[in-house]
Amino acid sequence: MKSLIKFFSSVKLAIVLLIIITSASILGTLVPQGRSAAEYAARYGQMSDLMIRIEVTRLYQSWWYIGLLLMFSMNTIVCTLMRLPPKLKKAFQPVLEFEQKKLRSLKIKDQLETNETVEHTKERVKTALFSRRYRIKESTKKSYFFIFAQKKRLGIFGSDVVHLGLLIILAGGIISGMAGFRTTLSIKEGQTLPVPNEDFSLRLDKFETEYYANGSVKDWKSTLTVIDNDKEALSKVVEVNHPLTYKGVVFYQSSYGLHWDNPLVEIHVTDKNDASISEYITLKIGDTAVFSNQRLELHAMSFIPDFVLNERNEVVTRSLEPNNPAVFIKVVKERKEIFSGWLFAKYPDFARMHSQKETGLSFNLANFKAGQYSGIQIARDPGVSLIWAGCIFLMLGFFIAFYWIPSEIRVIIEEQKGRTRIILGGSASKKTESFKQEFEKIIEFIRK
Amino acid sequence: MNESMLFLIAFILYILSAFFYFIFLFSKKGSFAKKGYWTIIIALISHTVAMVLRIFESGHAPFTNMYESLSFLSWSAAFAYLFIERKFKIRKAGPYFMVIVIGLMALASSPLMPKEATPLVPALQSYWLWLHVSVTLFGEAFFAIAFVTSIMYLAEKYKEKKGKISPSGLTAEKLDSISYRSVGIGLPIFTLGGLVFGMVWAYKAWGSYWSWDPKEVWSLITWFVFAIYLHTRLVMGWRGKKSAIIAIIGFLAALFTYFGVNYLLSGLHSYT
Ligand code: HEM
Repeated sequence: MKSLIKFFSSVKLAIVLLIIITSASILGTLVPQGRSAAEYAARYGQMSDLMIRIEVTRLYQSWWYIGLLLMFSMNTIVCTLMRLPPKLKKAFQPVLEFEQKKLRSLKIKDQLETNETVEHTKERVKTALFSRRYRIKESTKKSYFFIFAQKKRLGIFGSDVVHLGLLIILAGGIISGMAGFRTTLSIKEGQTLPVPNEDFSLRLDKFETEYYANGSVKDWKSTLTVIDNDKEALSKVVEVNHPLTYKGVVFYQSSYGLHWDNPLVEIHVTDKNDASISEYITLKIGDTAVFSNQRLELHAMSFIPDFVLNERNEVVTRSLEPNNPAVFIKVVKERKEIFSGWLFAKYPDFARMHSQKETGLSFNLANFKAGQYSGIQIARDPGVSLIWAGCIFLMLGFFIAFYWIPSEIRVIIEEQKGRTRIILGGSASKKTESFKQEFEKIIEFIRK
Repeated sequence: MNESMLFLIAFILYILSAFFYFIFLFSKKGSFAKKGYWTIIIALISHTVAMVLRIFESGHAPFTNMYESLSFLSWSAAFAYLFIERKFKIRKAGPYFMVIVIGLMALASSPLMPKEATPLVPALQSYWLWLHVSVTLFGEAFFAIAFVTSIMYLAEKYKEKKGKISPSGLTAEKLDSISYRSVGIGLPIFTLGGLVFGMVWAYKAWGSYWSWDPKEVWSLITWFVFAIYLHTRLVMGWRGKKSAIIAIIGFLAALFTYFGVNYLLSGLHSYT
């Protein structure tokens, strides 16, 4: 146990760990993370098996990387705690009676003699120190009078605050990793979906995409409503960078896409024999429209965004992108089907040939409009508040460590052959230059 | 006076100031260092106005392409140099440091860097973008100073070993201490901008404060290198050569985070 504590209190270990973690992290940026085994095999050949086994392909989630981080945390905890008691003592209960020898070994020091009494000199020195905002402790031993003056003494704890912040952040990361939950819902306008792992649901009221003049996407906006206990609990327009939070669950705008559940199609009808006939009929898939003075019915049966025939000659869609959109329609005249077939937006002549033969009419898929879904990322991350708290400590500690620099001045006053001798010595860990000037000002003040 | 005109004026003035500093270096006449210093100030004013004009023209933060962010990095580096020169009297570092500023400006104005202010993709429309990028680059400007003073330290140490003492008073020891102070200024700023603001922004935009994206990992690596710098120095008493080498590695890591990741590795942070 003792040797374990000794092991973990070493700063050398910290340096070694930092070097190992840094090297491992570099490795993780060189190997693409979280791809499929096939992709690694193609890229690295025979090496790929080994790489997957030692988890360099998901390095930052691997047991050994996390193990290193845990060791690093342990190191920080033990090292900081072991050094804390002496630091606390130094700041709050300093040894007041010190040796002259020690004082004289300091880099910044001076010695004065006056004809004033010891009592007088004491007051003078104290006033000088007070005027520079030093905090004073004093004591007497035999014929010696000791003054111990400190300024910004809490500055020595800057590093501890940094380390504490670091540990809080690591703890937050562990909690996020273990208890955090993240998924994406694809939700259509008007649809209500239950939120996974929660007892409330989410409804998308409206989804819009805004574009810049050059056609690139400016923003996605989803009007979301949280439904809790059958009541509308909260409603907000969610955009990228502007999420919605409800009961610790955060909803982000993360993606969008097209869906083809019941797209709107526009069909252009013309008549070979009568040039005046040119009708545009807009309807949803599954609906029926009557046209041509009520004499004809048009049924839009089904829609395929990327039409292709598979090896068994069945109609399937190759993708969800509208690469080869086609609609299957049926035209009925007085209960009798006069035409049925596919209309292709990209190949209008194909259907025209068939339909004209049978009816003299020609049909054309002039336009279509898919529904949009909004990709809403759902995250519950109980580690987040710790992360922000840790960041605050981290920054606070940094500023204390670098800008709240403690300094101390020790003074011994003694009577020597009717005269009073003052020995002063001081130190400031990092600001030697400006401390030197301050020290000289204090000496000047005492001399006056 | 339009933006590119003012940018060009700033560029020329930076070159002029480097010129003054080099004359100072060889002639040892302090008046030239002073001229160099004031030339940087005028260049910075022109550069600042150029950036403000660009913000008004594009209507968003000037950090959305390489030209804009390089321009801002040069601006920060020049500013950081003025600050450090005033504080630590390191005029001798002026010529070398201005070479870096000029290099960055040249890179920014090279035809390789797309200049058009492109419309922002949705994820970039956030005031956290301003904070994240500007504060990070500003911190890195101080790493650049530590980089230059560390290299100067190594050169000076080499000279001192041969028995030549620098007449300017900018000794190896002083250079070492200036590197440390620059890291001390740069590291908290870099931590705030690169890590803290970066996490806040990622959380707002993607719903996850940390994704182990290569750019994130490389900022972390940069941060670790400077943590190594601090601890070897403070606790293990490393000084001089070893410290200088770590500071140089640290700046190179920052540079790789900035350039290398965009061009060599892929991830969330490359938006093209
Ligand atoms: C990346 C992680 C770390 C960061 C960012 C960090 C940061 C700091 C900072 C800012 C200081 C103050 C420096 C100064 O006052 O100039 C410091 C001091 C120190 N750190 Fe760390 N630290 C880290 C990890 C560790 C670890 C793992 C250990 C454990 C061995 C450690 C041990 C120390 C010690 C012993 C000091 C001297 C502080 C004193 O006694 O005042 N640090 N650290």
